[in-house]
Amino acid sequence: MVKLNKLPKIYLAIVFLILYAPIFYLIYYSFNSGGGMSNFESFTLEHYAAVFEDKRLIIILINTVVVALLSALISTAIGVLGALAIMFTRNKSMRKAVLSLNNILIVSPDVIIGASFLILFTMIGIKLGFISVLISHIAFSIPIVVIMVLPKLQEMSPSLIDAAVDLGASKRDVLTRVIIPFIKPGIFAGFFLALTYSLDDFAVTFFVTGNGFSTLSVEIYSMARAGITLTINALSGLIFIITVALVIGYYAISRKTKSVLVGVRK
Amino acid sequence: MKEIVRGAIIILFISGILLSINMKLNEGGGSGNKNTITVYNWGEYIDPDLLMQFEEETGFKVIYETFDSNEGMMGKIEQGGTSYDISMPSEYMIEMMKEKDLLIPLDYSKIPNVKHIDPYFLNLPFDSGNEYSLPYFWGTVGIAFNPTLLEGQTFESWDNLWDPSLKQQVILVDSARETIGMGLNSLHYSLNSTNLDELREATDKLNKLKPNVKAIIGDEVTQLMVNGEASIALTWSGQAADMMYENEDIDYIVPEEGSNLWFDNMVIPRTASNIEGAHAFINFMLDPEVAAQNADYVGYSTPNLSALDFMDAEVIEDERFYPDEETRNHLEVYRNLGLEMLGHYNELFLEFKMNRK
Repeated sequence: MVKLNKLPKIYLAIVFLILYAPIFYLIYYSFNSGGGMSNFESFTLEHYAAVFEDKRLIIILINTVVVALLSALISTAIGVLGALAIMFTRNKSMRKAVLSLNNILIVSPDVIIGASFLILFTMIGIKLGFISVLISHIAFSIPIVVIMVLPKLQEMSPSLIDAAVDLGASKRDVLTRVIIPFIKPGIFAGFFLALTYSLDDFAVTFFVTGNGFSTLSVEIYSMARAGITLTINALSGLIFIITVALVIGYYAISRKTKSVLVGVRK
Repeated sequence: MKEIVRGAIIILFISGILLSINMKLNEGGGSGNKNTITVYNWGEYIDPDLLMQFEEETGFKVIYETFDSNEGMMGKIEQGGTSYDISMPSEYMIEMMKEKDLLIPLDYSKIPNVKHIDPYFLNLPFDSGNEYSLPYFWGTVGIAFNPTLLEGQTFESWDNLWDPSLKQQVILVDSARETIGMGLNSLHYSLNSTNLDELREATDKLNKLKPNVKAIIGDEVTQLMVNGEASIALTWSGQAADMMYENEDIDYIVPEEGSNLWFDNMVIPRTASNIEGAHAFINFMLDPEVAAQNADYVGYSTPNLSALDFMDAEVIEDERFYPDEETRNHLEVYRNLGLEMLGHYNELFLEFKMNRK
């Protein structure tokens, strides 16, 4: 029996090794004083310094983070409302239709979404830049949030709502004190997924950036032609650390939520 | 519920702070302004110090954006929505952009520095009379190889690649024009051949190269060569320069039968809103000292004859990147062959790739 228990653990370890090795490899060389990724000469922080000296890169980094935060926030708000609407639509075929439309958006290729946004924005005269990138990121994040929130709603027993109504809760109370606390983990999951989606999207973003506004993914892609410099390694290292911090933050929040869930009364 | 609201407020707050930091960093930005010009260039393709120098000298503020493919770049310019004042397409793309009427003719009274450009690089078929474009950087297609991994093999001729001793060693670039072009070159045909028999012959010859081909890939080849995991690659001179920068063993050669001469060029797209500033930028980049500094930073070959005086003798005497007259006479610039002909090239290339299995 002991042997059988070890096997999944070893398997898991190997999977994680494969997943994380490239990232650590990249970070390892970000401390390399030699110019390339072929041999490690000696330890240096100059590439990190280069990141902070490059004003353009910093602006782009901040752009990327702001777009990710705002688009995740807004799409979570819209996505939760959308999930509620889908859940409480009485007409079965209507509900199915809306849900399928939502899923089609998730599987449709980014390039097509990006190109159609470009055409739309130029047609209705929205200038490419911050707003256009934000709108398109919100758009492709909403379906993801819906998908993350919906299972939580389905999991919720309808008798919870009935009980609340019987005890005299208004519609608003039902929403804010019963439903939302119950689906909170789904909301957070949706938010963080939207955040990462926005951070690493290239295909859509490429089409809708313009007028001096750019994001990291677009920038790194265009750098690739001349060979990726170690500055990018350093930047990737920084982003990795930020991401880890975000994930830890997410767990801290969701653990707290769980304990709150036990005492819904307050 | 409270927590969610609190979280949302915190996020809005953070975004607000970050946005205001960005505004500060970006001060004076915003395009459409008469004092800014928007430059749309390949990534890592200019010395950032020069942009600052340009801003100081002329008072124009530069908004700098990057792209990673000619096709993507043209798509964005064609669609509009952003006002690019300068772009740097490759030669074949200029012909396409001309056809689609996406370029503004240059006003030479505002570009006195044009006299510094080597006449050899002017008045070429893709833009005769340089009505719309001026060269920015140029290079060749050739063979990068690592002599330490080979047994005295040299590559004066394309035919050397067919040598049976090179089993499973040659890496080709995943691009129809370059690879079919190598076949055409080795048969002494034109790189712009539209003769289907010649193309057939070139493909048949390529098929015989099969046993020597290790892989057909894109930009990843640089890393493979640098790490010594591959010994021979068909590649562009700029990419070869990158390899050589990181691994001194690597050498680059343009075979004697000739090869492709490529260009990236400065043009003013139709979308430009600051034509005055665009001309000032082109003129600035053609200044010999500026061009020399830029070539130093980017590492590609400059077409600016006067700039050579400001560069390392070691660099400009390197015939691999500044080939002599003799080699240059064998070089040929790609023409835009039209969709139908390009279809033939792609089809033959696909056939060659499938045949490999």
